[in-house]
Amino acid sequence: MGDPSSAGLGTLTMLLLVIAASVWLGTVAQRAVERGSFMKSYFLGNRGLGSWALALTATVQSGGTFMGFPSLVYSNGWIVALWISSYMVVPLTGFAVLAKRFAQLSRRTGAITVPDLFRERFGDPRVGLVASLLILFFMTVMMVAQFKAGALIMKVSLPGSGALALTEDGQGSWDRFYYFGLVVFTLTVVGYTVIGGFLAAVWTDLFQSVLMWIGVMLLLPLAIVAAGGLPAASERLRYEVVTKPSSADEQAEQAELWAPVLQRLKAIDAALRAYATAHDGKLPPDLQSLTSMTWDNGHFRPHELQYLGRDKSLDDLDQRMPLIVTPTNEKGWRAVLFASGVVKTGRISAPGDLVTGPGPFDYLALGLAISFFFQWAFSGMGSPASMVRVMACRDTTTVRRSIFLLGTYNLCIYIPLILICICAHSILPGLSLKNSDEVIPRVALHTTSGFFGGSFIAGLILAAPFGAVMATVSSYLVVIASGLVRDVYQRFINPEATTHELKRLSYTAMVVVGAIGLAANIKPVDYLQKLVVFSGTCGAVTFVVPAIMAAYWRRATAAGVMAGMLGGVAVNVVLYAAGLVYLREFKAIAVLGLDPIVWGLAASLVAGVAVSLCTTPPDPRLVAKLFDVAEPAGETGPIKPELA
Amino acid sequence: MPPSTEDPVVTSSRREAAVALVLWAVAMAYTVGYSYAFGYGRAAEDVRLIFGIPDWVLWGIFAPWIFWTIVSSLFAKFFMRDARIEEEAADPAGQAGEAAEGNDG
Repeated sequence: MGDPSSAGLGTLTMLLLVIAASVWLGTVAQRAVERGSFMKSYFLGNRGLGSWALALTATVQSGGTFMGFPSLVYSNGWIVALWISSYMVVPLTGFAVLAKRFAQLSRRTGAITVPDLFRERFGDPRVGLVASLLILFFMTVMMVAQFKAGALIMKVSLPGSGALALTEDGQGSWDRFYYFGLVVFTLTVVGYTVIGGFLAAVWTDLFQSVLMWIGVMLLLPLAIVAAGGLPAASERLRYEVVTKPSSADEQAEQAELWAPVLQRLKAIDAALRAYATAHDGKLPPDLQSLTSMTWDNGHFRPHELQYLGRDKSLDDLDQRMPLIVTPTNEKGWRAVLFASGVVKTGRISAPGDLVTGPGPFDYLALGLAISFFFQWAFSGMGSPASMVRVMACRDTTTVRRSIFLLGTYNLCIYIPLILICICAHSILPGLSLKNSDEVIPRVALHTTSGFFGGSFIAGLILAAPFGAVMATVSSYLVVIASGLVRDVYQRFINPEATTHELKRLSYTAMVVVGAIGLAANIKPVDYLQKLVVFSGTCGAVTFVVPAIMAAYWRRATAAGVMAGMLGGVAVNVVLYAAGLVYLREFKAIAVLGLDPIVWGLAASLVAGVAVSLCTTPPDPRLVAKLFDVAEPAGETGPIKPELA
Repeated sequence: MPPSTEDPVVTSSRREAAVALVLWAVAMAYTVGYSYAFGYGRAAEDVRLIFGIPDWVLWGIFAPWIFWTIVSSLFAKFFMRDARIEEEAADPAGQAGEAAEGNDG
């Protein structure tokens, strides 16, 4: 392991093992699929999911958990614990709100997909159509964005790719290693999903969740030891600062402005060192004690500068500790003199922001903290991929056990991940906010490079997110294919389609959608990630309220549920459009500091309830069929769709 | 009020859903409230580290996380009712498709 900028052969081996295991799981799933009717087994696993499969795959946020989230902790410190904290109640919101009833409702209606369920619940094809069109749009966007992550992990693990070298060169990402990774990733994931369908997606998801857990459990002690203990790492965060990247133009523009300040700080640095030399290395109690300085002309008087060196000894100081911090100008820039003598200017956070709220650069204002409590709790509940898994669960005992399993799992994943990334700040101080996405792989390679077999552990830790991304893409592929084949083709184009036709069509749909994912990532666009957030929010605000209405409210009508879906999406779209106009970027306007998910859910609720109450009550026989104890056979006539 | 003919599965699920959503709201009120009160706008020197964890993170986030994990488990074990979910209804769309299965599967 001479070259820490590339992964070793062990890493690649582990990754290939994960790929092999996934393909194997696909073939095992295929055998299970052959047992039932094609549609129900291929897209719903014959409703046989057990508690492990349900718990660890239905709401776990897959790829992002191992890539995006650690990077946020690294860049923003302890405040991200609050950002993610609603996962503490995700087992409840994910499984206690809808699961039991959806399991029952989907059986009573014979529904295979989420649009199916809405359509049959309200006896109206239009509800199904609205739901499936929305799902096809959101899911495709979210799926396409995952390909890049998969390709990048593959690239990181290729020996010789140099992917972990600390370069800022963004162009380096789009080289032959990336394309190779992209192709291998696409072939693998499309391949095993086509073979095994829904069950293949679920089983690889379960497999990667277990891998991820093992990876985190191995990495936690390694990271804590490498950082010299958690208290030491946390102490360092009290004064550490982080820098936001700025464009070359900005740097040029600001350089001139800050030149005199730089001069000033250099002079103070010299004075401080002179003082320390004369006082046994001790720094002065305050800047006024620097008698050699002349403060009268030039920038900043002593009281304007934040001084962190009081009563410290220059020799014992961490070189990364800031000594002098200036206030920010109107552009948010400031200058910092570090103990090493280096002076930096730029968008630098204030010392201490990494251990307090709202975090660096006002990372998590109160309104956002509230919004994220909605975000994680409801996006897991409202995602079509999650709802389908709930529909596929075996029985209610499975649901109950899943709550316990997921609770324990989340506790063992998220809190250790936070601790690991806090330590990462000490272990690998140099990551810029740009390449902090790879913080976990980097820590893994760094902490394991010292001992025999280390690269296998690093490989395991890298394989987990790769598996997570594969599982996510795979489950989205299933949802998208089922949407095209079941909700569009079988329902609207050719209700008489034979199993053979449906099969061929399902395979073709997956291959085509996979090809789209590949094509869209040949040169991935930067705003793709923002599009993912947008689509994810759309998913939650579309389905959470309508799903609860469908499950529990007898008075809910087809028109009401459609209004709930479209109302939520409309508010989300409007807030983003307003952001495009007023903020000139693809970002929603946060009314009262709250994210669009809160407003979208509120709008969905108001629209859903109001329109339901204003429309004709649903056919009592339809409601009775789905809400009441099953009547003895023989007395039910044909049920008229309410709005047909 | 739901009619007395309502399937007990529906009634119990509805009750469980309501309680779960209330618990979610309580969890949010405490965690966001505590963190805002004791973690926001504080001087970094005043933050006490307990085993290396800032005091407000420990009491506002990690401790309640453990608490809610236990509460969720108790909820699942003692409050949630098991129910027999009946057999599957016939596929509402695919009679033709399923009937043809034997021929080309």
